[in-house]
Amino acid sequence: MSAVKGKKVDVKPDKTVIKALALGGLLGGGGECVVDVKDGKAVRIRPFHYDWKYDKKKFNAWKMKRNGKTLEPLMKALPGTFSLAYKKRTFSPNRIKYPLIRVDWDPNGERNPQNRGKSKYRRISWDEATTIIANEIKRVHKKYGPCSILVQGDGHGECKTIHTPHGHQGRLLDMMGGFTQQVRNPDSWEGWYWGSKHVWGQGFQGMMSPAANLIKDITENAEMVLFWGGDPETTPWGFTGQYATRICYFWTQAGIKQVYICPELNYGAAVHADKWIPVLPNTDAALQLAIIYTWVKEGTWDKEYVKTHVVGMDYVKNYVLGKDDGIPKTPEWASKKCGVPEWTIKALAREFAKKVTSIAHYFGGSFIRGPFSHEPGRLECVLLGMQGLGGPGVHQCQITYFGMPRAEGLKSIRYFNPALTERLRIPCRTTIDAWGKQLIPKTLIQDAIIKPPLTFFGSGGQECQTEEQFEKYTYPIEKEKGGTLVHMIWTDTPCRITCWNHGNWTIDAFQHPSIECVVAQHPWLENECVYSDIILPANTTLEVEDIVTNSRQGPHFQSVCIQEQAIQPIGESRSDYEIVLAIAEKLGYGKKFSEGKTTRDLQKDVFDTMELGDMTTWKELLEKKYFVYPVAKDWESDPPGFRKFYEDPKKNPLQTPSGKLEFYSERLAKNFPDDKERPPYPQWIEKSETHDERLSSERAAMFPLLCMSNHGRWRVHAQGDDITWTRETVTCKVLGADGYRYEPVWINPKDAAKRGINDGDIVKVFNERGVVLCGARVWERMSPGVVYVDHGARHDPIIDNVDRGGAINTIAPNGITSKNACGQATSSYLVDVQKVTEKDYQEWREKDPESYDAAFKREYDQASGLRFNAWVEGGME
Amino acid sequence: MKVFVIDIGICNGCYACQIACKDEHVGNDWSPIAKPQPDTGQFWMKLNEYIRGTVPKVKMHYIPLLCQHCDKAPCIPACPVKGAIYKRDDGLVIIDPEKCTGCKACVDACPYGVIYFNDSLNIAQKCTGCAHLLDGGEWKVPRCADACPTEAIKFGEEAEFKGMIARAEVLKPESKTKPRVYYLNIPKKFIAGTVYDPIEKEVVIGAKCTLTGSKAGKMKTETTDAFGDFWFEGLADGTYNLTIDAKGFKAKSFNKLNTEKDINLGDIPLDKAKKK
Repeated sequence: MSAVKGKKVDVKPDKTVIKALALGGLLGGGGECVVDVKDGKAVRIRPFHYDWKYDKKKFNAWKMKRNGKTLEPLMKALPGTFSLAYKKRTFSPNRIKYPLIRVDWDPNGERNPQNRGKSKYRRISWDEATTIIANEIKRVHKKYGPCSILVQGDGHGECKTIHTPHGHQGRLLDMMGGFTQQVRNPDSWEGWYWGSKHVWGQGFQGMMSPAANLIKDITENAEMVLFWGGDPETTPWGFTGQYATRICYFWTQAGIKQVYICPELNYGAAVHADKWIPVLPNTDAALQLAIIYTWVKEGTWDKEYVKTHVVGMDYVKNYVLGKDDGIPKTPEWASKKCGVPEWTIKALAREFAKKVTSIAHYFGGSFIRGPFSHEPGRLECVLLGMQGLGGPGVHQCQITYFGMPRAEGLKSIRYFNPALTERLRIPCRTTIDAWGKQLIPKTLIQDAIIKPPLTFFGSGGQECQTEEQFEKYTYPIEKEKGGTLVHMIWTDTPCRITCWNHGNWTIDAFQHPSIECVVAQHPWLENECVYSDIILPANTTLEVEDIVTNSRQGPHFQSVCIQEQAIQPIGESRSDYEIVLAIAEKLGYGKKFSEGKTTRDLQKDVFDTMELGDMTTWKELLEKKYFVYPVAKDWESDPPGFRKFYEDPKKNPLQTPSGKLEFYSERLAKNFPDDKERPPYPQWIEKSETHDERLSSERAAMFPLLCMSNHGRWRVHAQGDDITWTRETVTCKVLGADGYRYEPVWINPKDAAKRGINDGDIVKVFNERGVVLCGARVWERMSPGVVYVDHGARHDPIIDNVDRGGAINTIAPNGITSKNACGQATSSYLVDVQKVTEKDYQEWREKDPESYDAAFKREYDQASGLRFNAWVEGGME
Repeated sequence: MKVFVIDIGICNGCYACQIACKDEHVGNDWSPIAKPQPDTGQFWMKLNEYIRGTVPKVKMHYIPLLCQHCDKAPCIPACPVKGAIYKRDDGLVIIDPEKCTGCKACVDACPYGVIYFNDSLNIAQKCTGCAHLLDGGEWKVPRCADACPTEAIKFGEEAEFKGMIARAEVLKPESKTKPRVYYLNIPKKFIAGTVYDPIEKEVVIGAKCTLTGSKAGKMKTETTDAFGDFWFEGLADGTYNLTIDAKGFKAKSFNKLNTEKDINLGDIPLDKAKKK
């Protein structure tokens, strides 16, 4: 054996900085990593270790036990995989390096709104850009009033506090007299928000709350956990990391059965499922009704509990027995709707009744984001209510998003951390509150621009109370209150095309002649950026100094970290806060906007408002750069979930008018007496004036497959589509024969064979709303009759309504959840899939040769996708 | 001497190992241990995916594949340059990027396909076990193990893992290269199905399923669970006969089931037995 000695490599970094690299954003961290920096270069990104500078005994680690096995936290954070690849985002060839202006947009002449998405950009200086924007703001304020500016400043993003990626423009415009707010609907919680709230009260965006100690109680008491629609192996990555996977493996070891009910063999089902029950997308309500039917027929529900804890059981009972409409909701009936064999439905119903059962989610795919999603949302509450919700092991659980042991001295575990100062919270209010002077739900933006005026019930603001769903709004508001149509858009959220409803219509709205100016600020040149007039380069978390409260549940321990700057900003980029500050200065609002505070001052404000002085000192935090909250000594005494309500519903009522679980909602009956889409108690809605997206539809003759979209494995919504290392995995992209990496569409081998489709083929997914090119993944992870495309891929238009980037939401329905519920319905809709032929390409070219040729000439990199240079005159080396 | 022990039973397929490896080696020069890995197309740590069965009896597993750091590494004698590929005292096999002449002999010699050829640098490259980090003293495990959220990838002294190694297997044992990478719980094949009564439209619970091998192998039995499901797992490749017996039903047999691929027999109807 030859030993080579004395050849040690110098691997010692100059500095190691902490960065929360989950992508949830909104004043909270997760996916904690450290970045090793050497010679000004980010050398490596690796999981953060809690005991780096502290004795682990201080953390008072918790333990949970079942069947002789013990579950404990690790000393390292478990970031999602894309967090570990974050260098590739910061150094993406698609980064915007300097301010840009659209070549044929002249604020003093022709504005050519119709050319948004077609014409290219040229470089301008920061001074020019901010001057033009300040002048435009002044101009539209004078001509139309402050509400003529639409702020799109909401959503997820990097974990930063001072430099949080969204909403700074709202804070500035609020100082200047207000603005029109795009109100972000709870896009991953729709069915619970618009449905469950009416059964069990406000909850957390409609999910069961309080949610303390759910993991402990399920671990100790449950015999079966139903993973209904969600995927614990994907969605947690974006928010906190991978702890859910360890819990699932532990439950398997401890003998807790895990049943997955979802159309696709998702990543959790692939490795954790004891049983996979494929259900057709958005037919869960039929399956749920048949389970209730079986329980009613067999008497296997908790009648005593229902007597004291529920109102409206008779309505549900009569409905499932067919006394309302003559149709008993039998397993035979349901089987035809949902595709699950009758015998399996009965077996599931009986197991559910017999075993102590919880339902777990981590947001949902087709279960909670389809048309009429409030129906499965409400029926889930009914199912759990009929089996003694709140009792030992009977819960709804957003696994690791909630339900982990309580930390000592931590003021909030909420994802936007309301414990921070007003000044730091305001930007994030645009994501969670409806606080603008004039409001447009995000799902109705294109309707508002293309066919105003609008009326709607409920703004959809995430923190809005249930009662707000009964409030009637108009757009525009009355003129004397400042109402006006929107004429300018300022977005730091340019992802609507690929993440929201009917993205092709978003494009039409952005090209509408009434929109005189569109300003976008973003780190990457993607999606709506190329439908803008001025584009400003934002930078990424590696490039700024900040402070982040890793206060969300899901990591092993909660912590606060000083996030030092790791590297110098790329090109001329600035943080989102600094961008808006530069514009504020041009408008004479600089001082007011900055309050004269430095980064250090604002970090100290966070320390103070989090009352960290009780736990550590400012000096120690600055020295160590982080603080870990110990687990509360008495954490085990927190009552799990609805336990107090379970034990004494009179003393511990729910936040419903009756204080009980309202299977029948008097409020819905009173406010919407004619609503057939969301009746007072949950029902099966086959189709309606809003949606006709079922296999029973006449449209299914042309579009016979149901298309579902989950939360992606490799992206958080639109974030992360250009990471070269993840794009090489079989589930991230499909390398087409033409050298382009396509977004995968999962299709069952039987459906593929009928269409002559082979794995790896370039195919078109289409309906009346457009065409999306994808790469076929032909495999048994997809049940027959269904196809699956993650939303959020980067839009790459060939011609109008034909997308090559795989932005599947471009062809999702425009219709909202249901007529009085303005959520999005972007999973489970009719499409067909066919191989793309030469004839297709010819037809597209004939329709619009100029756009077609431009599309295929755009600079493209197989590794990372479209590049900055594709849209910029002269480009950049 | 170091070993890797990889537990496939708790590999969730997250690719953190593959990506962390790229993070360490793409764009970073750790000479003389390793020169940079190309950005794409090469995987010193590669996660392979396996989908088994058909809807709805589908299972997946993932196998992280890396240099096996063999004690009888075929790449070493295959290399014409003395000392260009060497085994360290700690058992890790390294290709010296300075000495490699780019002849590719090692690439061809490796039975595991884990040596990649870097065209732009004209050298062969592969997993180094992050020897550059281990040598620094602060790192005890390579990047892939540090990034693994389930601790499926373990790295350390052979003696520490004695018990696990006794239960583990190596890839391609027929190559006789004495790998230092051990795998636990690599699934074998399954035969599964759901038994039901087509008249009552009910699953049949408690049906006795008996599996016999064509070669006088051991008989295995399973009983259908509350979903009417039976699963025979851990089956070697071969031909099997299956009989399903349930009270009140005629027995049903499946002959010559070949487990070259995993078998889902689907929903299996049982006919009622004739009344005696």
